[in-house]
Amino acid sequence: MAETQKHPINPALALVAAVAGWFVPGLGQALLGKWGKAVVYFFAVAVLAVVGLRMRGNVFTSNGADAFDMLGFFADIGNGIFYFLAGAINPAGPNVGIAAGDYGTRLFATAGVLNFLCVLEVLQIGFGSREEGQAAR
Amino acid sequence: MILTHFQSMVIFALCVSLAFAFLSKETTDERIRYAIWAFLAFLVVAIGIGWLTYPFSR
Repeated sequence: MAETQKHPINPALALVAAVAGWFVPGLGQALLGKWGKAVVYFFAVAVLAVVGLRMRGNVFTSNGADAFDMLGFFADIGNGIFYFLAGAINPAGPNVGIAAGDYGTRLFATAGVLNFLCVLEVLQIGFGSREEGQAAR
Repeated sequence: MILTHFQSMVIFALCVSLAFAFLSKETTDERIRYAIWAFLAFLVVAIGIGWLTYPFSR
């Protein structure tokens, strides 16, 4: 039977790690000592976000016209620091008139939702509701 | 940066399958198996749907 351990329940640390993990993908796992996961999550989200932006994907803002824009904003804001650096990463701005821009929009939104999943995992580990095997680093 | 649909799909599949493997599996062996399976499943399903919808594209 594989040995499992529950991370000590520390609500304050879990919340700080969750916010940190939202802002910098993977940082939440790093704060909880899961360095392997932290590196993988950072690169997965970063690659999707940067490629999506460089393909001139659209970045939704909070003042969207309809529910789909708000849904897009909710997905995009999950990128944390990449959302706020979008203008610097892609100075040319979005162009969804070309197919690549449309693909970029999807990649950027996927990165945001993926990061939200990582934040949920931080909360699960931090609050002790997820059993972590010793191999799970 | 201009990537084709296929290239963007491969990047998407790589990143998402890797993250899913680490989110859902605990051991290295399980993660490798799951990541490869999910990566191939993304590609096969996308290409399959592409072929199935091709007759309606024009």
